[in-house]
Amino acid sequence: MTGQGVVVQGVQRRFGEVEAVRGIDLTAHSGEVTALVGPNGAGKTTLLLVLATLLVPDAGEVRVAGFDPVTQADEVRARMGWAPDVFGLYDNLTCREYLAFCGAAMKLPKPRAKERAAELLIQARLADQADVPVHTLSRGQKQRLGLTRALVHQPEVLLLDEPASGLDPRSRVELRTLLRRLADDGTAVVVSSHLLGDLEELADRVVFVDRGQTVGEHRLDQLPTGSEPRPWRLRALDTDALLAALTRRGCDHDAPSLAGIEVRLTGDDAAAALLAGLVRDGVPVVSCQPLGGQLEAAYLELTR
Amino acid sequence: MTRQGIATVAQQEFRIRIRAGRWRWLLAAWFAVLLLVTVLLKLSVDQVDAGDATNKGVVVYGGLTLLVLGLALLVVPTLAAQSVNGDRERGTLATLQVTRLSAGDIAVGKLAAAWGTSLVFLALTLPLVAYCMVLGGVPFGRVVVVSLVLALLLGTVASLALCLSALLARTTTSGVLAYLTVFALTLGTLISFGLGTALTQESYTATSSCPTAAELEQQGVPAQDRPSILAGCTSSTFTATRSRTDRVWWLLAPNPFVVLADAAPQLPTETVAQARARTAQEARGIHRTNLRDADPLGVLGRSVRGLRTPPSEGGGLVSVVTGSSHRPVWPWGLGFDVVLGGAALWLTARRLRTPTRDLPRGQRVA
Repeated sequence: MTGQGVVVQGVQRRFGEVEAVRGIDLTAHSGEVTALVGPNGAGKTTLLLVLATLLVPDAGEVRVAGFDPVTQADEVRARMGWAPDVFGLYDNLTCREYLAFCGAAMKLPKPRAKERAAELLIQARLADQADVPVHTLSRGQKQRLGLTRALVHQPEVLLLDEPASGLDPRSRVELRTLLRRLADDGTAVVVSSHLLGDLEELADRVVFVDRGQTVGEHRLDQLPTGSEPRPWRLRALDTDALLAALTRRGCDHDAPSLAGIEVRLTGDDAAAALLAGLVRDGVPVVSCQPLGGQLEAAYLELTR
Repeated sequence: MTRQGIATVAQQEFRIRIRAGRWRWLLAAWFAVLLLVTVLLKLSVDQVDAGDATNKGVVVYGGLTLLVLGLALLVVPTLAAQSVNGDRERGTLATLQVTRLSAGDIAVGKLAAAWGTSLVFLALTLPLVAYCMVLGGVPFGRVVVVSLVLALLLGTVASLALCLSALLARTTTSGVLAYLTVFALTLGTLISFGLGTALTQESYTATSSCPTAAELEQQGVPAQDRPSILAGCTSSTFTATRSRTDRVWWLLAPNPFVVLADAAPQLPTETVAQARARTAQEARGIHRTNLRDADPLGVLGRSVRGLRTPPSEGGGLVSVVTGSSHRPVWPWGLGFDVVLGGAALWLTARRLRTPTRDLPRGQRVA
């Protein structure tokens, strides 16, 4: 399955006085996970509503799976799945009934909808809860059901708004695995999230938005390595020797803690050079890692 | 808009409704109240006259029907007035709008569910209606027409309530406004008709002419009284004021009670045998209340038709209002109501259409 993904150019949308989106560009390719990252109120949810055929943009070009969500909404809907940040479920239905209903709403033939519901319940680890009312599910289970709903018709484009909020660590790992698999099968996945650590492991590309505008669009392996110093954490078998070596090199460092010593370094080159130097000095270094990850560093730099 | 899409939405709404409410109790209470009223009506009819055994059902059925309409007008708004904005509040509307269901599917499906529920209430009154028919005097055709008109009226109210839930962001506001709409249709039409009538006051001059002997005979005045009437009569010209309700009758036409009563087919005229039996009884000095004259639907229907009729020129003796000679009011009223309901449904679908350009204040998309 090769779809056409999502192409957004210069989208604007205001609500009365508030300019929610002032010019967002975004490209999400099929077979890739595209992360949409930015502070609260940056316009991520509004953009996703435009992509999900719910809002008409004031300006800009939008194509979802090759169709215009304003003039060809039904074509888009047939190929797009959307899981909002706050979604409602019908409390009195069972999971199975709910998914069957979603299948019917997507105009799947009845037997196909039933079959698909059963498949998805297994995939979402909800098979045990298939026939209990939705209101008895835990928060994480409801979240999984809400995501599953968006997959009923096997969409080419999947739009997820904060899918991992409220999920426990295991569910988050499973969500990552699921999204990765969907992308590998050819789906264009667009996911907005604040969980940068998760995104760093999952996303292929990242689009940074701030105050309604795109401020950066990068492949994850080509993130701008900042000009700002970032914290790294060093740990050695002999903390005193490490401390002495750092002081001798004039490195900007904190007091040692149980986790090791934090230093501030500018760029990956500086980190590599320091590590080589420490090893040459005979300091028994066991780990040297950036704190917060590259994505977080890029985020902090781009969305100031 | 497809049949399958409408059915999908309606089924879903039905299922949610059935599981959410205490329907068994509500329906039981509804039936109990109506049963009680039917029994009381039957007992009071027995009190008035036990002799006219053939028409007892007429009065009971009329009273029951008007009560059913009154109670249904209280129940129906709750069935639809939170349908759309309630879904919006729970966050289930947007997920429905991004499916391949069209705005029309959603609007019509929701109306079908609300209307269908109200028809369940109506269906529950059928055993009582059957009892009325057993009591006598209620033709089957009347039951069919009255039931159809009732169903249409409830559909109109459901559609109006649904529309309010689509237009307004808050469920409490739409709930209150749905009831105000029902009041506008019932009391509002009555008040505006009253005020409108006051504005149509006019003075007129008329000459009262004396009846001829032939006219008196036609009116059944006994022969020995006629000469004295003719002798004592002088024609005179006088000036008086009158209300021209025939100019404002349409203000009252949309009233559901008026529509229902006027739409009920007139009872068949007395058969020759019945009339003969009555005259024979009267000759023996037995005067019985004719229950047909006490038919609530007939009385109401005839009086609104009378309101529509212009005063006869010349101001002679007022003719007996028979109903049949007057033009009906209900086609206008029912037509207006159904068009109103249709427009409300259209507006509902329009408001459900996505993607949206304009977002009302305080309303979230999702």
